[in-house]
Amino acid sequence: MKRTLKRSWLIFIVVIAFLGGLCFLVIETILGASDWVDQPYNGHISGSGGLIQAGKILDRNSDILAQSVDGKREYHSNKQVRKALLHVVGDDSLNISTAIQSRFRSELTGYSFIWGLNMPQSFRHGHDMELTVDIPTCKAAYNKLKNYDSGACVIYNYDTGEILCSVSIKSYDPNSPPKITEKNAKKYDGVYLDNVLSSTYTPGSVFKIVTAAAAIENIPDIWERKWTCNGKEEIGGGDITCVSEHGTVNLKQAFGHSCNIVFAELAVELGEAKMNEMAKKLGINASFSISGVDTKKGRYDISKANKNQLAWSGVGQYTDEVNPTQMAIICGAIAKGGTPVNPYIISGNSGSILADIGLTKVGTAGKNMISSSTAKGLNDLMRYAVVNDYGDDMFGGLTVCAKTGTGETSKGSDKDKNDGWMVGYCTDSEYPLAFACVVRGSSQYGYSTAGQVAKAAMIQAAKSMKNN
Amino acid sequence: MILIMDIAVVALRMLLPVYTVVIVYQIFAAMRRRRRPERPLVLLQDLDTGEKIPVLFWENSIGRSRGSDIALDDTAISRNHCVLLRRKEGWFITDTRSKTGTYVNGNRVVRRTKVNIDDTIEMGNKEYAFRRGEEFHEELQSSWFFSKVSNKPAIQPYKVLILVSLFHIFMAVEACFCDGAKDFDPAYLCAMLVGVEWMFFFVSRVILRRAAFELEALGLFFTGIGVMLLARQNVKNATIQPCYVQLIAAVAGMIVFCIIIKFIENPDRIGQWRMIIMIVAVLFLGINLVFGRVTNGSANWVHIGPITVQPSEFVKIAFIFVGASTLDRLQTRQNLLEFIIFSAICVGALALMGDFGTALIFFGTFILISFTRSGDFKTVILALASSVFAGFIVLNIKPYVMRRFEGWRHVWQYTQDSRGYQQARTLTYIASGGLFGVGIGNGVLKYVAASESDLVFGLMSEEMGFISAITIAIAIATLFIYARSVTTRSRSTFYSISACCAAGLFVIQMSLNVFGATDILPLTGVTFPFISAGGSSIISCWGLLAFIKAADERTYAK
Repeated sequence: MKRTLKRSWLIFIVVIAFLGGLCFLVIETILGASDWVDQPYNGHISGSGGLIQAGKILDRNSDILAQSVDGKREYHSNKQVRKALLHVVGDDSLNISTAIQSRFRSELTGYSFIWGLNMPQSFRHGHDMELTVDIPTCKAAYNKLKNYDSGACVIYNYDTGEILCSVSIKSYDPNSPPKITEKNAKKYDGVYLDNVLSSTYTPGSVFKIVTAAAAIENIPDIWERKWTCNGKEEIGGGDITCVSEHGTVNLKQAFGHSCNIVFAELAVELGEAKMNEMAKKLGINASFSISGVDTKKGRYDISKANKNQLAWSGVGQYTDEVNPTQMAIICGAIAKGGTPVNPYIISGNSGSILADIGLTKVGTAGKNMISSSTAKGLNDLMRYAVVNDYGDDMFGGLTVCAKTGTGETSKGSDKDKNDGWMVGYCTDSEYPLAFACVVRGSSQYGYSTAGQVAKAAMIQAAKSMKNN
Repeated sequence: MILIMDIAVVALRMLLPVYTVVIVYQIFAAMRRRRRPERPLVLLQDLDTGEKIPVLFWENSIGRSRGSDIALDDTAISRNHCVLLRRKEGWFITDTRSKTGTYVNGNRVVRRTKVNIDDTIEMGNKEYAFRRGEEFHEELQSSWFFSKVSNKPAIQPYKVLILVSLFHIFMAVEACFCDGAKDFDPAYLCAMLVGVEWMFFFVSRVILRRAAFELEALGLFFTGIGVMLLARQNVKNATIQPCYVQLIAAVAGMIVFCIIIKFIENPDRIGQWRMIIMIVAVLFLGINLVFGRVTNGSANWVHIGPITVQPSEFVKIAFIFVGASTLDRLQTRQNLLEFIIFSAICVGALALMGDFGTALIFFGTFILISFTRSGDFKTVILALASSVFAGFIVLNIKPYVMRRFEGWRHVWQYTQDSRGYQQARTLTYIASGGLFGVGIGNGVLKYVAASESDLVFGLMSEEMGFISAITIAIAIATLFIYARSVTTRSRSTFYSISACCAAGLFVIQMSLNVFGATDILPLTGVTFPFISAGGSSIISCWGLLAFIKAADERTYAK
């Protein structure tokens, strides 16, 4: 009998293993429950029914973006604001997966790990969420963006990380969401995608910031160098072309005039390893987490490129792709001397236990990207571009450093699909704002398309900051 | 008015998990009390020195080996010399192939020989007198489960059952008033359930005069939860709703419980039945292999007219039965070959049916039984090694099995296909239920296939709350602690081994169910003991519970 008792320890181990597994399950549940709940199939919260008692969503000035009144979800009274912030706020459905109302539906409806989801209506207490966005700025950006097929505008405070503006086009009014059928599928293609976070565009000349950074870090006499541009030059068996003949230029002039030949030559001179190294430092192939949403990764892949393609990759063509938020963060890093502050969009979440006990820190410093001397060099280049090429009065008195770009996404006659860019930042200490604007679907250059979006949004953002 | 209703609803929801903890605690507290004090049954007195050796168990191995129940330091004695055992008719001694032999009153023991008080037993170089246990006056240590128990009398069996029935009534109230409810069907169901519970109590206590009722109460508690969880799982056009099927099967299970206890009353008679039971079990699986219809990926169902049966569930009972053995038989026939062949046939047949979950349960139980019987670590290692080998072969022959593993630990990537559909929903609804649940009938997981069987842990958690679900899982695991603590008090090692291994089987099965549904292990689709819907499953659970009941020495006391 004693032996049987002794040998039963093996069964005891099985029991202990089971109890250990249960502990693991409990821990997993505590950590994961709020994510598990927010699933589009969850019968307790799906459909507008789930929002009957949901909390408010507020902008930085506590203006209401969405609230539930008498069992109905109401959005902002202004249609333009509703459309501007559609992708940030979301609608009754869960179609826009990155929107606050999709990702935090359980919190908004009063979910907590302890009480679960099916509290009787009279006890439900929806949690409010405060965002960092500024309604007037988003509206201003939207009014410029709405003329295009696709586009995005993001502005954030590079000192604090708060995102003031995040607008994505195409959009629709959450009060009357479209019924997408086979017939109109093309018209609404990509409408559920938040282009600020989840899309990439061909960078064109804004990628010269990356090439310039690599050149400043690796070529000692870069500031003394001179190049001659004849509008066209053969590199690696193919032509690299410029918009016009820029003549003899130094680095600043080449950057300001956006001379392709100079940056193509630099890319070839730096070579695959150094270009890759800088793309990696600036996080082109990486994604950034913005209040829990990972941005779409950009692309800088020259592993299969020949010399000519390497040259084109240095001026933001070839297969290069970048994400708008990513570009804004790079600009923020340059403004901060090489290390960006991580942007965020949720400033308050009354439903989060982690936020309540201060575990979710916002506005923390990100990974160092470039040295402060490189940042200083890039700052000079971008400032030069604004003063000498775009006009210093463009931003209504703000001191801005910037770069425009036009990414060619289509070949031949169909030029309407170009990606126009403007990225940059304001150096005025009262307005520490970094921005990235992109539009698709115009034959014009970035300056006259995205530039106008950036201009309107930046001027409004500064105005909003001044008023507070 | 609405507010008052809501307060009542929430209060009831919060009550259930707390109540679950109370019931489980009360039952286990009662199990710890009401035991006879730790006294030796008889004594062996060394006739040279006068030293008194207490004989504590119903079956005692005597030998030179230190693991023996009575270890004698005598070089003339074999390591496992003989077995001294108690039966209804009195005490017996069996020589287990010792070198020097055992003598009672000078006669050499050949077969099992009766020993009377004051007889002389001669082993090795010494003689011992067989004396009454009352002549021993020293204090004996008790197992921790039973030690330090307060002197408070245990809760009366009928009070335990009142607690349990009341719990099921609360569940029925919740189900009657769940969202969108228009009828009071759960009340009728509950009335029948409570009727069955008290009928069983009456049979057990009054007719069969069983001393204790805690184990049965625990079984009834779980069974009732399983039945009530089905109260709002209505199937359109069904002749009988699944909840009633479950209740009827549970009654059958309780009958099987009583029959098995009666059947194994005499541990010596079991040996004659061993071979017959093995053949019947193999036949069962054979019928299953030939006539089985594929349902949910595995052919483990047999359809007999309107009834569907899962033969492998009944084979579990046979498996435990064949595996366990009395002590004298264990010492004389040490090889496991017979049992190994039987196990290999069972596991092989299940694997052929594609029921890998049940095959795994059998395999795990095989290891537990063979180790508990032989203490041979090599057997365990060998079995594990060969199973890994067999696993590789299975994955090579049946590549679709691999597909089940694809989703494992990555279910959130596969929420819309078979690789993660069920697990992701289980987790979502566990989280939606919170600690106290959304109330019986208000769950959404019930619309997912197999929610009442393979995913029942999620269903419990969603509707009754995470606390209840975890408490119930722990309670079933604690059955082993109980089984282990009564081990040395059993009337035979047959009961000790079968009780521990039946409890071990429950734990293995529950692990596969709970962790499979929650994506900690791959989903294999086995049932949660007592609670999952399934007639064969509930009958087999009650059958296995009979082994644990039989291990309590009071079960056969008159």
